[in-house]
Amino acid sequence: MSALSHESILKAGRYKGVKVGTAEAESAKAILRFMIRLRMCEEALAREYHPADEMRCPVHFCIGQEAVPAALSVTLRDDDYLFCHHRSHGYYLAKDAPMDALFAELYGKAGGANGGLAGSQDISFPSRRFYSGAILAGAAAISLGAALACRLRGGSQVAVAGFGESATDEGILWETLNYAAVAKLPVIFVCENNNYSVFSPQLKRQALDNISARVASFGVRSTAIFGNDAMEVQRTLSREIGLARAGQGPAFIEAYTYRWSGHYGPESDDLVGYRNAAEIEAWKQNCPISLLEEAMQKSGTHPRAELEGFRREVASEITRCFSFAKSSPFPAVPDWQALNFAAGSPLADRLLAEVELADFDAQQESQQAKGY
Amino acid sequence: MAGTAPSGIERPATHATGSTEQAEISYAEALNQGLRQALELSESVIVLGQLVDYGPGVFGSTTGLVDRFGPERIRDFPVSESAMTAAGIGVAIAGFRPVLVHHRLDFMLYSIDAIVNWMALWRFKSNAQSSLPIVIRAIVGRGWGQGPQHSKSLHAWFAHVPGIRVAVPATAFDAKGLLLEAIFGENPVIMVEHRSLFALKDRVPTVPYRVRFGRAAVRRSGTDITIAAIGFMVPFALRTASRLSTLGVEVEVVDLRTVSPLDSETVITSVKKTGRLCVMDPGWQSFGASAEIVARVAERAGRALRAAPVRICHPDSHTPMSSALELAYYPQEDAVAARLRSLAAEG
Repeated sequence: MSALSHESILKAGRYKGVKVGTAEAESAKAILRFMIRLRMCEEALAREYHPADEMRCPVHFCIGQEAVPAALSVTLRDDDYLFCHHRSHGYYLAKDAPMDALFAELYGKAGGANGGLAGSQDISFPSRRFYSGAILAGAAAISLGAALACRLRGGSQVAVAGFGESATDEGILWETLNYAAVAKLPVIFVCENNNYSVFSPQLKRQALDNISARVASFGVRSTAIFGNDAMEVQRTLSREIGLARAGQGPAFIEAYTYRWSGHYGPESDDLVGYRNAAEIEAWKQNCPISLLEEAMQKSGTHPRAELEGFRREVASEITRCFSFAKSSPFPAVPDWQALNFAAGSPLADRLLAEVELADFDAQQESQQAKGY
Repeated sequence: MAGTAPSGIERPATHATGSTEQAEISYAEALNQGLRQALELSESVIVLGQLVDYGPGVFGSTTGLVDRFGPERIRDFPVSESAMTAAGIGVAIAGFRPVLVHHRLDFMLYSIDAIVNWMALWRFKSNAQSSLPIVIRAIVGRGWGQGPQHSKSLHAWFAHVPGIRVAVPATAFDAKGLLLEAIFGENPVIMVEHRSLFALKDRVPTVPYRVRFGRAAVRRSGTDITIAAIGFMVPFALRTASRLSTLGVEVEVVDLRTVSPLDSETVITSVKKTGRLCVMDPGWQSFGASAEIVARVAERAGRALRAAPVRICHPDSHTPMSSALELAYYPQEDAVAARLRSLAAEG
């Protein structure tokens, strides 16, 4: 088991391990483009969030944590399922859900991915098989069922769950890991260990920072990696997803990473004093985007000329998304019943007979059976 | 919709009307038959629960299913109720129709987060793009010392939460029909099943049929008092009504069948005729189903009431184990008949 930890990463200083193999030039480029687009998207949202205050919902930015979603974006298939935590934007884009509907959702508009009902931390895009939610580990547990469905269908689909290390504070995650292992389900758990549950560091909440070792003891293949090395994340994901597709059961990847921004909102929450400036700076030195760019320069695969145009395209996409979101109307007041309950039962209509109510003999004695 | 139904399924049933072939079977056998037919009708139906694949089969309700449908579809689950419910949600997202089974409702309370924070609001927060056809069967004990952790009928809790349908079948006919309607409907359903009803027999059609949610059944007609009853209080109400009839008091018994949706219309129509209301709810009195029913009648037909409503519920206390105290805790027919006789004399 790797001795990787937040402490060892800080001690090691700037990371030098990103490698781009000759066969990886295309995927590296796709990963880089994804990370740049995500970073630009998050920075633009953060700039706009306050003081305009038109996005009136809690937003958890993922600046600094782009590598995992980027690696997922080049590894998942359209028919795979992706579930994630409240820090959702990267995962949403990883499933190729549209950015304009993301923006409109944050504005609470009818054009939002969920018509403005869910917001940033509960957003989903069912037609892309992407789902999120704010209660820790809840979505990860749901991925279990999607994986069960994949298995029952007998194809090679998988389910992936992304969550933070705080989700391992929750009991349901361990129940989930146990069942995934015992039923050998095609599910990959990706734990973005960013060390903090809002302010509280892992070693204040858990006696040992050995999540991946604990998971391995459940009979789940488990790996700890440096999560800002997007290529390593991609190789690990690709290997584990491949095994899961081939019926080899679940896997757990603990990807060490770090969020630059506060827990939520664009402002720093460092005044709380839960982490120090040197630590933040050290992690900024390990920015997943600059680490990959550097490695691509070394391997001569850096798409410099192309990127300039790409950044311009993303900038205008973002402008377009803002104007879509702002011009989209607020949702009409819904029919609350219809929103909460499906009215029709087409399958029951087709399969079930209508039968007259039978009489009932009430004179029988009803009682609890002896014992259980 | 994200989920696609599994391939090669859904054979249409023979649509029967009027007189249908029936067999006299128990509530437990009716549940078993309903599950078996659902599993036959669609490969999307699966069953998850502790020990569902062993001979005793959750008091007979799942016995034999594994032999017919195999362990992939009839899945024994570890005692991990939270993960089981979450798995039910996930498999439903992906196009299946899971039936989750709890030997006792009390155990499913570990999964309240999955139920309230995820299942109940899934459709809502997807802006009605994604629905969850999940059925959770929750069995409630009564008597034989079940005590405070084997006997809670929390139908009112669940009915309080938007996005969940709640059925409380009182007869074998309803147990099968509501179960099939729930499985092949599009909403999450919690079906609260009272263990003390499992041996009760009823004539049950052999075809797969439906009992619609939100349609109460008038089990007995009467002119003096309306009893609105839930679950195991339905046979209790009917026995009480027979006794009162010999004393010249004619009671109308409304079996609510589902508490979400709640068919207040049928209760109100009856109260307009009788002018007197008694609610029999097998749950705690405060903030429960009985309060909701009385409130709806008061709002819509308060002036039709000739006497103050009577509630027959459980005391606001946890259930005692001792058989002597069980007698004091659960409503007894003699006392209730006397109370209703005096209600009939009011107004």
